[in-house]
Order: sequence, then structure tokens, then C-alpha cells
Amino acid sequence: MSSEHEKDGYGITLFRPGTPHNAKIRGIVFFIIFCIITVVQSCYWLFANTVRPFVLGMPFGMFFIVLFITVEFAVLVILYFLESENMEEKGDV
Amino acid sequence: MTWILVLIIIFAYLFFILFLGSWAGRGRERSIVEYIAASRSLGFVIMYFLMGGAIFSAFAYLGGPGWAYSKGGAAFYILGYCALGLVPWWLWGPRALRAGKRFQYVTQAQLFSDRFQSKALSVIIAVVSVLAFIQYITLQMKGCAYVFEVASEGRIPFWAGALIAYLVVLIYVFYAGLRGVAWTNVFQGAFMVVTAWVLGLYLTYHLYGGPSEMFRQIAQANPTHLLVGPGTKMSFAAFASALLVSVLGFSMWPHLFMKAYTAKSERVLKQTIVLYPTFAIFLIPVLFIGFAGIMQVKPDELGAPDRILPWMFSHMQFHPIAVGLVLAAALAAAMSTQDTITHAAGSIFAQDFVEVLKKEKHSDREATLWVRISVVCFGAVSYMVAIFGGQTLVALLLGAYGSIVQLLPLAAATFFWPRATKAGAICGILAGVLYNYAILFKIIPKFWDIHAGIQGLVLNFIVLIVVSLLTRPMDRVHVRKFVTL
Repeated sequence: MSSEHEKDGYGITLFRPGTPHNAKIRGIVFFIIFCIITVVQSCYWLFANTVRPFVLGMPFGMFFIVLFITVEFAVLVILYFLESENMEEKGDV
Repeated sequence: MTWILVLIIIFAYLFFILFLGSWAGRGRERSIVEYIAASRSLGFVIMYFLMGGAIFSAFAYLGGPGWAYSKGGAAFYILGYCALGLVPWWLWGPRALRAGKRFQYVTQAQLFSDRFQSKALSVIIAVVSVLAFIQYITLQMKGCAYVFEVASEGRIPFWAGALIAYLVVLIYVFYAGLRGVAWTNVFQGAFMVVTAWVLGLYLTYHLYGGPSEMFRQIAQANPTHLLVGPGTKMSFAAFASALLVSVLGFSMWPHLFMKAYTAKSERVLKQTIVLYPTFAIFLIPVLFIGFAGIMQVKPDELGAPDRILPWMFSHMQFHPIAVGLVLAAALAAAMSTQDTITHAAGSIFAQDFVEVLKKEKHSDREATLWVRISVVCFGAVSYMVAIFGGQTLVALLLGAYGSIVQLLPLAAATFFWPRATKAGAICGILAGVLYNYAILFKIIPKFWDIHAGIQGLVLNFIVLIVVSLLTRPMDRVHVRKFVTL
């Protein structure tokens, strides 16, 4: 949105006021990572639309999707621990 | 006589769930926050299974193997969206949690209608959600009825099977509210996961000596069955857009979204999201069951693909106790979704429809009573639809089912774009929902093979932005409250 809007408080607000700079960068980086994972999952056929080789008993396409579920899980765990310090236990009412 | 033993196990299971569900709600106060949101006090384990029970539905347990059996590679999309479905909640969940605590919301529509200062919006959301829920519940009821039909070897008719399972759910939802739903889901979730793994692995090893050999035989018999794209059961565009719309829409389902109000803290909410992909892993053996059926039975002989799971183990000469347990697990899958939806539908109808249209506000006690009445009425209506549902009615409900993702722009605007206005929000959601119906009723042709929900979503966002910019901004102090949560 235009800077005029930002001044009067109507601009797009991605972060709560007072969010530290590095937390903003982290948020954007992880957002992009999850977008990439989603695109890879929905377009898995670009990379792995084959039956062979079988990995862990699964056809390669299925394995590829499961592999990315594991990657996604790992990324979530990392994000959780990075954000863990300033998570509110009880919520700020 | 084996069917008697099978039925005894199933009924023992039903009694246990009824007892557990009713026991969970004992000695609690009768406020609306307790009944709908368990007093915002749920911890991690319960939240995890509460959210998991919703995805482990009759669709996952009966429909998942059905997809693997009939559509092959297209079934991988279920794994992908199940794993990613809750990730967008990282954005909405904590914000909704804080909004709920600060402004005393218990439903999704309360948040949106307060942000946009519109009772009409609340009514629109309530109507779309309740219609979508009826469709959702009907599927679960049919699943339950099917389980009873198989268990009793046809002695329990469709109408009675659907009724028995539903009465059990209705009683503990009516009596114990969300706490009852949550506790039964912990047990049912754990039970289903264990049964799915045992059964999935047993069938692949018993029939083929292992999954690799099974898939090798499938690929040999039908080289394209395990792939997607031209010449298979699902095109590239259909696969990609179906996965995308499911991921975007999943956390918008009102019964999931409103669970943000039940969590004790932001930490609990995020722990649930982090561990949610594990449910996708739990689904792998469920798909194995469907794949295992391909070389065993011809589609014509089977009838509907959804019958593959019951067919598989009823032809394996299992001990009746094992059959009873597996059928009870299928019942658990359907019931753990039914209870969440019934509870949410009752809450939404009473809070976002009745309460909004009434001039005077109900007292807490009256409001809880209204939710309970709505729970019973909703149950009765969905039961009627499951038994008598005609073609047109089903199309109407399917349209609502596909319209849930259209709530996404409202969430995005509420939390991130203060300039969005009431007119923009209402026009946006109406455009999205009507577009979805227009495609469903074939008034406009489907563009390419892209999911109608994605097309509606693009239209919805455009209308929301354009109309908002053309109308006067809303009160600044009010809208800023929601972006600074």
C-alpha cells in the first residue's frame, strides 16, 4: 500500500508493533520456506513422477512426498525452538 | 455366530466411549466458554488428538484406501495436504487465541463479524458453515452405517446403523460439550493409529511379502496407476490445485479454527502445529490397505471403491475379535469427526445465527441451553439428509463444502489489512461462494482443470481489495485492534 496509508494506520501490517528486526526477518524467511515446501508438494510430479526406484518399500513418488513431510516437520521443529524464547505462556490479557 | 461376537465388541466399544465422554464433563460449570471452548484451558496432548481426530475421519479411513485402490497416485495428495494443512495456522492461530481471550470470542464468525461490524457477515458464515457441516456429517454417518452393515452381515439396516453411532455421539456432546469431545478423541485417535499400522503392515506382508513387492506387482499390472498426469486418474493441474486449496482451506474450517480459543497458551497451539505432520505419516499404512486390494478384487466385484477396507479384512478369515476391533476403529474414525462437527455446528448456529438475530442478549445459562438445542436439531437434520438426501440437496451441501476456503481472505484482512471494509468483506465472500456454486451447477464452465475453490479465491481477493478501496475506511482505532494482536 502507499506510504500515505501507512501514516494513517491503514497499511498492510504484517507484524505486531514492537516486533524486533531479526524476528521479522525470521518470519519472512520461514514463510518463504513453507511456500516452497507447499509448491514442491503440489508439483511433486515435476521431480518424482516415477514408480522406481522403490525406497523404504514405497514407489519413488510416494517416498518423495513422505520425504518432504519429514523436511517440513524438521523445519517446524527448528522454527518452534527459535520462537520458543518469546512465546507467551498464558497470553497477555 | 461370529457376527454376534463382532457386534458385542463394537457395542462394548460404544459404551466405553459414551462413558468416557460423559465422565469428562462431570462437575464443570455451565458457562458458554466452558461448553464451547473448555474454558480456554486445554493442554498439548488433548489439543493434538482433538485436531487429529478431525482429520482421521471416515474419509481418511474408508475414503483414503478407496482412493489408493481406484485412483492410485492421486491418493498421495491426501498425505501432502494432511501434513501441510495446519501450517497456515501458525499465522492465524495465536492471533485468534489472543483475540478470543481479549474480546471473549468462542466462534470464528464472532471474530470476523466484530472486525467488520457486520451481523450479515455472521449470518453468511453461519449458513455456509452449517450447510458444509451437514455434508461432512452425512459422509461420517454413511461410514458408520456401513460398518454396522458389514459387522452384522446385513442384519442391521442402513438407517439403524447410522442412528446408533450418532446417538452415542449426540449424548456426550449434549452432556459434556467440548471436554467430552476432546477426551473421547484422545482415546479414539490412539486406537485408530495403532489399528491402522497393524492392519496396513499385516496385509502387505501377509499378501505380498512386503510393500516393495506389492508395488512392483501393481506397476507391472498397470504401469500408470502409481503416477499422476495425462493418462492417469488425475491431471497435473488437478493434483496441484487440489492440494493447494486443501492446504489453504484446512485451517479455515470453522470447527478447526475455533479450536484456537480452546488452547491454554500460544505454546500449546504451536506444539500442536509442529507435531501435526505426524498424522500424515500415520495415514501411510491406511493407503497401503487400499493398494493391497488392487490385486485382490476387481472394481466391478467390489462395487464402490470406499468398500475396499471392509472388503479386505472380511475376506481374510480373521478371528471375530480382530474383525470387531478393526470395525470399531473405523467407527472411531467416523465418530471422532462427527462429535467435533456436531459440537461446532451447534455452537455456530446458536451463537452466530440465533444470538445475532435476537435483540436481547441471552444469559450464559440460556446461551448454553440454545447451543444444546441446536446440537440436537442439527443432528436430526443431518440424519434425515443421510437417509433421504436427494440429488439437489446434496449438490447444495457440496457447494457449501467447497466454499469454506472462501473464508481465507476474511482471516487475512482481519489480521493484516486494516483498510479492508465491511462492504469489501461481504462482496468478496459472496463473490467467492457464488462463483463456486456457479461452477458446481455448470452455469459457467470449469477453467482448465484447476480446482474451483482456487478460482473463487482469486476472485474473492480481487473483489475484497477493489471494493474496500472504493469504500470509506472503517474506524481506525477499531481496525488497528486486530492487526496489533
